[in-house]
Amino acid sequence: MKLAHTATIPVAPERVWAVVMDIPVAARCVPGVAAVTSTGPERYKGSLLVQIGPVRLILDGDIAITSRDDAARHASLRADAKDTRLGGTVRATVDILLRDAPGGCELRIESDVQIGGRIGEFGQPVIQRKADQLLGQFAQCLARSAT
Amino acid sequence: MSYEWHDAATWSEALALLERHADDATVVAGSTAFTLLYRQGLIRPGHVVALRRISDAARIDADAHGGLSIGAMATHSAVASSERVRRSWPELADAVSTVATIRVRNQATLGGSVAHADPASDAPVMLAALAAQAVVVSGSGATKRRVPVDEIFVDTFTTSLAPTELIHSIEVPARPAGARAVYRKFTLRSVDDYATVSVGALADLGGGTVNALRVFLGGVGPTPMRARSVERALIGGPADGRRFAEAAALARDEVDPIDDARGSADYKREMARVWTERALRSLVEIS
Repeated sequence: MKLAHTATIPVAPERVWAVVMDIPVAARCVPGVAAVTSTGPERYKGSLLVQIGPVRLILDGDIAITSRDDAARHASLRADAKDTRLGGTVRATVDILLRDAPGGCELRIESDVQIGGRIGEFGQPVIQRKADQLLGQFAQCLARSAT
Repeated sequence: MSYEWHDAATWSEALALLERHADDATVVAGSTAFTLLYRQGLIRPGHVVALRRISDAARIDADAHGGLSIGAMATHSAVASSERVRRSWPELADAVSTVATIRVRNQATLGGSVAHADPASDAPVMLAALAAQAVVVSGSGATKRRVPVDEIFVDTFTTSLAPTELIHSIEVPARPAGARAVYRKFTLRSVDDYATVSVGALADLGGGTVNALRVFLGGVGPTPMRARSVERALIGGPADGRRFAEAAALARDEVDPIDDARGSADYKREMARVWTERALRSLVEIS
């Protein structure tokens, strides 16, 4: 499942980029994320609680920065997570690109997400809507954190 | 079974169980939605708080203002066959009669349907159109507040209620003189399916004028969607078919459907227009 999100943030790109690449700080901007900690160079672990009504997913996983170009403000991440209670996995590759835009910058996040196990029962449209909500809140929070 | 089942005998006992088990508890009324989610493996609660043993929780009464007070635990079948409901709001009885199959209607409750907040369910759409309110209890059971049903739904399967609140009953206002109501449901696959689109409407068309109108659509967004632009376009003008057709086209932009087995998002937008027009026209045909 490929997802693409774009958000305009009214803050200078270098400030936003610094927050985005500070993974534990940026992760705090994702609603439902519990403490993300470093496990090595460019590697982190953490958990994400996603609630859709009575369904609660607790995704525990690892994040690795697989490429990073600070000059171009472009990075790629890989995330592997699973919910052991419900039995499901989420694997994602995420491309993050920050571009100059009038009055601030534009954040573009392209994700390729593979969902395995029970979580997939929800179907792509519901998951996509949830991802849209999370990203919208993420961008607003980034704007606050970078100012 | 991995969960502990609690049959609460009173509202206060149910509320106390919710306080105690917080995030690890699921409430069940008729258990129809719970059973599906559990068997799909999408929920694994440690505690299930069942409301079925609470006495009088399924009563259907007249309220002090001539409206209906329907206990949250009243099943769809009970509402559909209630003389009291049939006398004041037969359209509500008809709407809940369209839910799934008789086996589901005998089990699923009105309160459960609202609390589950499935945007394709029937009762929430019609209750929203009829300006029904939910009576919500919390604390020891003595604290009650009233919430318009349409304000309860905030997202798919998600309500504005706190995890420690329960729907006690649903109040449907007294029928205004001259009120006309209708519920139309379009199912693409079989009659017992969830709606591809459904429309609930309430109107006052006295003197051939649209004096008041509420239109809600189900199945075409994360919640029952209010077609405010349709209402605005029609209120104050004559109740005629050409205007209904023009106004119904506005419903396309009021909805936010997803692609699924019941149709593509584009198809559902078009069906929202078609079934809104049909619902409006049938209001005129009702004499």
